[in-house]
Amino acid sequence: MREQRSKGVAGTAEGDGEASLGAAFVIQWVNELASAVRDQRDYLTQLDAAIGDADHGINLDRGLRAAVAKLEGMEQEAPGIILEAVGTALTFTVGGAAGPLYGSGFRDLGRALGSKERFGPEDLLVALRSGLEAIQKLGAAAVGDKTIVDAFVPGLAAFERGLRAGAGWPAAATRARQAAEDGMRATVPLQARKGRASYLGPRSMGHQDPGATSTALLFSALERAAGGTDRAVGEPP
Amino acid sequence: MIQSVHRAALILKELGSSRRLGVTELGERLGLAKATVFGLLRALEAEQLVERDDEAGKYRLGPAMLQLGNAFLDNHELRARSLLWAESLASRVEEAVRVGVLNGRRVLIVHHVFRPDNSLQILEVGASIPWHACALGKAMAAYLEAERRSELLDEDLARLTGKTVCDPAVLDRELDQVARRGVALEDQEAIVGEAEIAATVFNYAGVPVGAIGVAGPVERLLGDGPSPHLVAAVRETARSLSREMGAGRLSARAR
Repeated sequence: MREQRSKGVAGTAEGDGEASLGAAFVIQWVNELASAVRDQRDYLTQLDAAIGDADHGINLDRGLRAAVAKLEGMEQEAPGIILEAVGTALTFTVGGAAGPLYGSGFRDLGRALGSKERFGPEDLLVALRSGLEAIQKLGAAAVGDKTIVDAFVPGLAAFERGLRAGAGWPAAATRARQAAEDGMRATVPLQARKGRASYLGPRSMGHQDPGATSTALLFSALERAAGGTDRAVGEPP
Repeated sequence: MIQSVHRAALILKELGSSRRLGVTELGERLGLAKATVFGLLRALEAEQLVERDDEAGKYRLGPAMLQLGNAFLDNHELRARSLLWAESLASRVEEAVRVGVLNGRRVLIVHHVFRPDNSLQILEVGASIPWHACALGKAMAAYLEAERRSELLDEDLARLTGKTVCDPAVLDRELDQVARRGVALEDQEAIVGEAEIAATVFNYAGVPVGAIGVAGPVERLLGDGPSPHLVAAVRETARSLSREMGAGRLSARAR
């Protein structure tokens, strides 16, 4: 049964289908993200060359490799602790604006999950929201400024709508990825209002934002990790 | 002001803030009749100040604008005098160096030396940054006369990042501190992850005419407090540049 539940009160009992996610899932999510960024590294850098310092792909790849290395041996830790560690690794290794932004995003995402061993999609929704808040607190960006936020906000909203519609958790993750990609593409005509790209004024128009692009990869990694759990939320374990 | 000159200037500014515009769009934005806009565009086109896009028939800025922009930079005294100083500061501290002047409520970057590490960087000459969000702006504001300073503090102070200081009282105190220390700092107030250390450049009358600063990753510039090595290098460069601008030893230090 997919019962609607008030946010932030995940069941932790064994066999609770809604709390089916754990350490293995978040590790897979991060691994999926790391491999997507590795594959797209040159593309991200190329996007950044048009409106930034041409280091987004290289920096993010380096940071995620460091994060993945840090995850080894953490399989027994709580998912929240693992994601916090990812955040710390990104903060210290990525550099530029992406390091602090993704670093604090993952850190707060992990903190929101706390120390519980298992969590469900509703908890993930709350945690993603915390991650977005951390990013917005640091960058003060809103939708339309041509940043990470342009993909994150619609991705998160679609994820929530998917869960509310009872679509099942992997389907909600798919909707989130689609919406994040739409948001990413919608940055093309925008004039940047945040970051170094904003110094370019109208010259920033006509280029897809590299931050929104890497955030779309974050959601596509989530989608793949969701499929990889091999069972939809609500199904018996 | 002669109306047509004013209108032609507005057209150039509109084209400068969007990529290309058609006659109708320009007319709507400026509240002018299409025929008027067309006449002005024809005159500007003849002088190569605008040019027409063959495909869409839209207008954009023309090649003569580049020459004018370059002429502005070439004739800019502070920029001309800062070229060598900025270059030597950048190679000494191995960070990017920027020189700016106050233009209304924003800092106009008139010179930018890349961080000498062969990485790809964006030329920031021509960038215009809210004065309160960069060390260059704070370095200049700190030495303005009280009336001008409060004008700067009074109006809207935009938030660029979560760390931008937008409270006039806090900024006012910070400017006092800048004047005492002879150096201005910026900690991710314009761009997340970026910091700047800058000092004021004065002219013969002891009036601030610009600022020069080192910009780069916050962890390198402000890691455990502002790097003393960078602060010393920036202040020294600003003093030398001030002397070149005619400032006496006393006025260059503080007023």
